[in-house]
Amino acid sequence: MSKLSLSVGPQHPGSGHMRIILTLSGDYIIEAIPDPGYVHRGEEKLAEYRTYIQNIPHLERPVLLDATGAIFPYILAVEDLMNIIVPERAQFIRVIMAELNRIISHLYYMAIYGIFMGHSTMFMWPVGDREVFIDLANNIAGQRVSYAFLVPGGVRNDMPEIVKERAEKACNYFEKHLIEYERIFMNNPLFEKRTKGVGILSKQDAIRLGVVGPTLRASGVKSDVRKDDTYSVYDQLDFEIPVSNACDSWSRAWIHMEEMRQSMSIIRQCLKRIPAGPVKLNLKQIKVPPGESFSRVEAARGTLSYYLISDGGKVPYRVRIMTPSFRNLITIPNIMKGVMLADMPPTYWGIDYWPVEADR
Amino acid sequence: MSKIQTFSSFVKRLIIVIIGLLITLTLLFSLLAYFVPSVKELQNILLSSIGNPSLMLNYLDQKGFGLNSLFFKVAVFPGFTWAALIAAEIIWFERKFLAKMQMRVGPLYAGKIAGLLQPIADVVKLVFKEIITPSSSDKWFFLSIPIIITSIAAALLAVLPVSEGWIIMRSDVSVLIIFAIVGFVPIAVLLGGWASNSKYPFIGALRGLHQMIAFEIPMLISTLGVVLVTGTLDLVNIVYTQSNVWFILLMPIGAFVFFSCMIIELERIPFDLPEAESEIASGYLTEYTSMAFGNIQLAIYIRFYAMAGIFTTMFLGGWYGPQILPNGFEIANQVIWFTIKTLLVMILAIVLRGVNPRVRIDLLLRMGWSSLLILSFANLFLVILILQTELIQMVGV
Amino acid sequence: MVFIIKMLNSIRSGMNQVFKRRMTFRYPDQRLFIEGDGYKYDPKAGIGINGYRGRHILYLEKCTGCSLCVMMCQGISQAIEMKNVPNKQIPVNKKSIFPQIDYSKCVYCGFCVDACPFEALFETNEYEIVSYDRESLLFTPEQLAIPPKKRPEPTVNLKYGDSDVYHG
Repeated sequence: MSKLSLSVGPQHPGSGHMRIILTLSGDYIIEAIPDPGYVHRGEEKLAEYRTYIQNIPHLERPVLLDATGAIFPYILAVEDLMNIIVPERAQFIRVIMAELNRIISHLYYMAIYGIFMGHSTMFMWPVGDREVFIDLANNIAGQRVSYAFLVPGGVRNDMPEIVKERAEKACNYFEKHLIEYERIFMNNPLFEKRTKGVGILSKQDAIRLGVVGPTLRASGVKSDVRKDDTYSVYDQLDFEIPVSNACDSWSRAWIHMEEMRQSMSIIRQCLKRIPAGPVKLNLKQIKVPPGESFSRVEAARGTLSYYLISDGGKVPYRVRIMTPSFRNLITIPNIMKGVMLADMPPTYWGIDYWPVEADR
Repeated sequence: MSKIQTFSSFVKRLIIVIIGLLITLTLLFSLLAYFVPSVKELQNILLSSIGNPSLMLNYLDQKGFGLNSLFFKVAVFPGFTWAALIAAEIIWFERKFLAKMQMRVGPLYAGKIAGLLQPIADVVKLVFKEIITPSSSDKWFFLSIPIIITSIAAALLAVLPVSEGWIIMRSDVSVLIIFAIVGFVPIAVLLGGWASNSKYPFIGALRGLHQMIAFEIPMLISTLGVVLVTGTLDLVNIVYTQSNVWFILLMPIGAFVFFSCMIIELERIPFDLPEAESEIASGYLTEYTSMAFGNIQLAIYIRFYAMAGIFTTMFLGGWYGPQILPNGFEIANQVIWFTIKTLLVMILAIVLRGVNPRVRIDLLLRMGWSSLLILSFANLFLVILILQTELIQMVGV
Repeated sequence: MVFIIKMLNSIRSGMNQVFKRRMTFRYPDQRLFIEGDGYKYDPKAGIGINGYRGRHILYLEKCTGCSLCVMMCQGISQAIEMKNVPNKQIPVNKKSIFPQIDYSKCVYCGFCVDACPFEALFETNEYEIVSYDRESLLFTPEQLAIPPKKRPEPTVNLKYGDSDVYHG
């Protein structure tokens, strides 16, 4: 069969903001080379011209679906340099926001997965349920998507009383609805036929390539920053990490669904244990002494880490961001071998690759 | 501009225009002379039918437009107007039902109640748009494809028995006619893709061809089971044979195979590979705009109704049902039961649309050539077994 | 056989959703209800007061023209600038300058509210800021001082039923 070179480019509904150059033999993909860089903006250089507080709305924009997960490691790095201890109530509120953002990002993942499979109901249900959690985040932080809620020293405002009962009702509703999700989306025989056995990434390959996030857990490696290198109050909470041994697209989608259940259990525990107290240290100014610090956090898509160098001035000297999509970019040439052309968009979306955060 | 360059081409176009004019005018005047009465006759009839309406009906009967004439059957009742109304309402129902299944509200503002006039609003919008033909396509051929597709869909309506007397054409070989028409559809799809002269419609048309040809065979073999039990190819006799028990109870596997093949032949989601996949252009429908597109959509829904009607006739007992209207209205009762059963079949197809993702082409063809074919042969052998052991007599067929 | 059972389960899930309430709300006829009064900041305690971050409101009698809000926004989106309003004479504002906000650039982060030490700039609940051209999105200090109109009734809120969620 002769070879055909096809460019699934930036102006294609199945690709996102990047280009993938495919070499096809008939209908099977032999080679796939990603071509990122269409949305590169120079976020790391731009961060050197803004003060530590002005960087907060700036640095949460690349990973906008999971805004709290994007800014959490930056705040941890700055607090590490400043050597301050954040009050307990602020840490619990940060964990609640982080888990809400995880649910919101995973629901968006399922919605776009549905579009690529041609299943319009799989688009409408997650987007509708996402409204429930965006409404909760609105009640806590004041905005629906881009919060700028975490500052060095705590969080910007206190959580109102109405959030406790609304979150309880929302979690009850969504747990019932997740059972329906399993029946209609995950266990649908046509969905299984299309995704089981497609896009295999074996365990040795996953460890060798340095993959992070749900993609790693779908290949059988039990690794999560919240348990391995715990930060904030995660050591006081009780949750599990879903792992699957079948390294295909179906198990990646399944792990995203199971993580949503664990997130809801974490939110319930936080709401029970949250103590009263201040939510922000009353710092007169943000003065960061010179030094370097490194911090990492489990964002919705994987491990997000920051490396911050400060020289004592008003602006940081160097901000290095390592996003999970950039680490997972290396899987695209490896999992596309032998996949048919019609399955290329769901497989590439299955590793939860978001081009904007990979390019920064 | 550059077409009229020589005198001979000018003369050729002039002759074509003159001949066309002559033919059109002749046809028009002869139609008018036959159908339109003189003004005096019209005045008489209108005045006299104010007191006595049956005179008007007699007059229409005499002219050939009466309630029992072929014109009425083709144009109004089980024919085009009825099918077009059902097609429009099924479009509305499909959008509303899918919306309800997806946590949202469907069409809401067109028409005072719940958006009932939305399909008509869509048709009016389509009429006002411009028909664009690609410059590199064969223009007249390209524009004749919607007419061909609509005619094929409407031809399927001709053999559908809506009730005991209301069938446009009753013939001894109705089942063969159905399969001849169904077999012509892939050719029309291929012509539609070829006439557009562009890459994506052609790929979509080829996939449509593969899909439709692969699934005609299981459909034929499951119909063979029905034909063996009844011993005739006439659709009205098939319904008469089901007066005691419906065939779906005798041959459930055959009904399942026929239903699956029906959805696949109609290219509905989850099997809409020629239309919505194809590098996410619209397949063979890509280059059609405005009323050409509207015509093809109408044809798709009329074909949906016709095939659902055929499924009802063969497996669900046609027009039989308990008498829910008072005793003078048998024919209306039969029409109501036929319509209810057809609508239930269509609702099941719509539910399947809301719940499933799209299949891949190789999974589809593998399913057609292996699983469905084996199931339909199994059904055939079961039917022969039932006939041989004379279990049929026990259920009173 | 397993195929048919799984397909029937899917159909059952789909049909269950048909009999629940819809989640959409009909936008121009029904408006969304937002609790509270808008985001505010308490400079003495150094902490914000919970609320929605929408259009700003400027209290002209408290603003001293210190330009701290402008300095904060320089690194974020440069949406605030100081403008001279000559016919407003306020004792604390000697140079008579007040902030004007360009809503085609503002990202509604609320850091300008955090920066103001005199409680002169707060945010309100209003989010419907539309116009036909870009110039009228530049709100002058007098326009910012007008409190927002009350949202027209009926307003709906997200409500949780037993197994469905709807706006009511």
